[in-house]
Amino acid sequence: MIFVGLRNFDRLFHSEEYIRAIKTTVIYVGASVILTIFLSFFIALLLNMKVPGTPIYKALIFIPYAISPAIAGTLWSFLLNPVVGHVNYFFSKFFGISVDWITAKPYALYAIIFASVWKVMPFDIIFYLAGLQDIPDDIIEATTIDGASAWKRIWKIIFPLLSPITFYLVIMNIISFMFSSFAIIDVMTRGGPGDYTTTMIYRLFLDAFAFQKTGIASAESVVLFLVMIVVTFIYFYFGEKRVHYQ
Amino acid sequence: MKKWLVLVLSVLVVLSFAKVKIQFWHAMGGWRIELLQGMADEFMKLHPDIEVEVQYTGSYRDTLNKLIAAVKAGNPPHVVQIYDIGTQVMIDGEIAVPIQDLIDKDPTFDIGKFMPQVLNYYRINGKLYSMPFNSSNPILYYNKTLFKKAGLDPNHPPRTFDELLEYAKKLTIKDKDGNIVQSGITWPLHAWFFEQFMAVQNAPLVDNNNGRTGRPTKAIFNSEAGRRFFKLWYELSKNGWMINTKKEDWTGARQLFGSQKVAMLISSTSDVALMEKLAKENGFELGTAFLPRPKEAKSGGVVIGGGSLWIIGGHPKKEIDAAWEFVKFMASPQLQIKWHEGTGYFPIRKDAVEMLMNQGYYAEHPNHLTALLQLLLSVQNPNTNGAIIGAFPEVRDIIETAVEKMLNGEMSPEDALAWAEKEATKAIKEYNELYGY
Repeated sequence: MIFVGLRNFDRLFHSEEYIRAIKTTVIYVGASVILTIFLSFFIALLLNMKVPGTPIYKALIFIPYAISPAIAGTLWSFLLNPVVGHVNYFFSKFFGISVDWITAKPYALYAIIFASVWKVMPFDIIFYLAGLQDIPDDIIEATTIDGASAWKRIWKIIFPLLSPITFYLVIMNIISFMFSSFAIIDVMTRGGPGDYTTTMIYRLFLDAFAFQKTGIASAESVVLFLVMIVVTFIYFYFGEKRVHYQ
Repeated sequence: MKKWLVLVLSVLVVLSFAKVKIQFWHAMGGWRIELLQGMADEFMKLHPDIEVEVQYTGSYRDTLNKLIAAVKAGNPPHVVQIYDIGTQVMIDGEIAVPIQDLIDKDPTFDIGKFMPQVLNYYRINGKLYSMPFNSSNPILYYNKTLFKKAGLDPNHPPRTFDELLEYAKKLTIKDKDGNIVQSGITWPLHAWFFEQFMAVQNAPLVDNNNGRTGRPTKAIFNSEAGRRFFKLWYELSKNGWMINTKKEDWTGARQLFGSQKVAMLISSTSDVALMEKLAKENGFELGTAFLPRPKEAKSGGVVIGGGSLWIIGGHPKKEIDAAWEFVKFMASPQLQIKWHEGTGYFPIRKDAVEMLMNQGYYAEHPNHLTALLQLLLSVQNPNTNGAIIGAFPEVRDIIETAVEKMLNGEMSPEDALAWAEKEATKAIKEYNELYGY
């Protein structure tokens, strides 16, 4: 073993691949978190409406959460297979187009985002649903009497009331998209095409376990650790101050 | 009477304690797990004093990682199967007992019975470090039924790159919207095929005679030969005559061929048995052929791929001897035939091939003959013996990334190849630096 000081970090931040991986991670995590939060909020609103058959919808929507990420990846690669997959079958049947979901830019990133959102969403829905059921009926009633439209009620009353949950979920989602998205990427695209869907965690896996470049890989994990510290710090510091509690 | 009983018992106890335990790690998933367990059971029946613990340790990559972790933790296995491109890493790691040392001490073992094509791959600087075990190379599979439908002669597979383009074009069917209904050819998006097509054209990947006469210092595959193959790949894909998979997706490529979505497939010979089954199930006639070669290129051949068995050091002599017995057994002709018939990896011994021939095996299985003949008819030189690169896994990933960038239209074939060569050289230099060269 040789001591090289900060050489590994120096190399890491001068490597184009790693800079690209950071950019991919930011886009991927950003898009996935925003999508997940809004989709799950709306689905939770719908599930809270006591429509007949809600338990069935609930069960169907929560199933992805129980599936392991690797299985989810396999499932989506089957569905999105450009030649024999169901998605393309329907697309070509109804719209006359077929798309290389997994091997072409930019669809590969869409596919990854879609599969990850699908996988993580149930977790958020459960929390939102619990939050919605906690909102006292009299508040809703009062706004209705005051003449607020449904849209206004959602954005001015319900969403702010749920902001502690949203804040917690954003943090949790950032963590799960940054770290546990590895299996979905590995199974679906292997970081490709090119290194288009190679995120920081996947780059770390490649350097550590595929190429045996332990030095660079350790530096990468330190970087990820620092990211974690920052995220956790934000959670504990701002979590107490800025979020509206009832 | 009682005395005898005590004696027998004590002998038994001593014998049971004398049983040597060895561990064998391998990377062969699926039905092959049972096959290898069966082979180990057979060995234990012949050698009641040795107990072999067989463990499937995941993919080749995982197996190498687990080995590294086990060596660091101080409890490595005795015998482990490592992939072809891990050879240099294993030598540099200095954790193995070179097979050559054991062969030299064992007069009963004749290495002359092994196929020179296989030994040439695993011999580094004239020394054999590991025992060849599962070897394969790529061949062209084609669907004779679809050939006939397209008006092509099913007994005349494409022999050159030009013919391949022409055939792939004729075999592609598009609907009125321009969507592909049937395509000409596919192969997994794997750098192995780049390496093979370089060897087919008798061109090296790295300097110092493909790393065979000294440590490679740079990649030199941005040559006429490399460009020819990159252009072929680009041409086929651009026109929709070829369907590409994601990185290293062997199953995806096989499915495309099995479901008759594509008419030709280039894949490993270890798939022969599987392909014959697929053809029967889906009702088409299967043909096999050598890899096509550009008309203007020099005659070359194919490189061995697969894995070999390594004996890891740091164990008592008794256990190393037992491991050597086990490795010898796995490479014996009967076992190699069993392995060949069970998987499609070809036998690595001349006497095993001879036995199969005498049984009329090759007359019944012409596709296995294609695989074997292609290897036997290969020119033998460093270009076809395969490159020895320490950073091989990374070099492969670089080539695959370059191909994907080319297919996505980010780079021209020339630029992609030049980029790959530059990056590969960087990876080789970093590896050399790590080991102080």
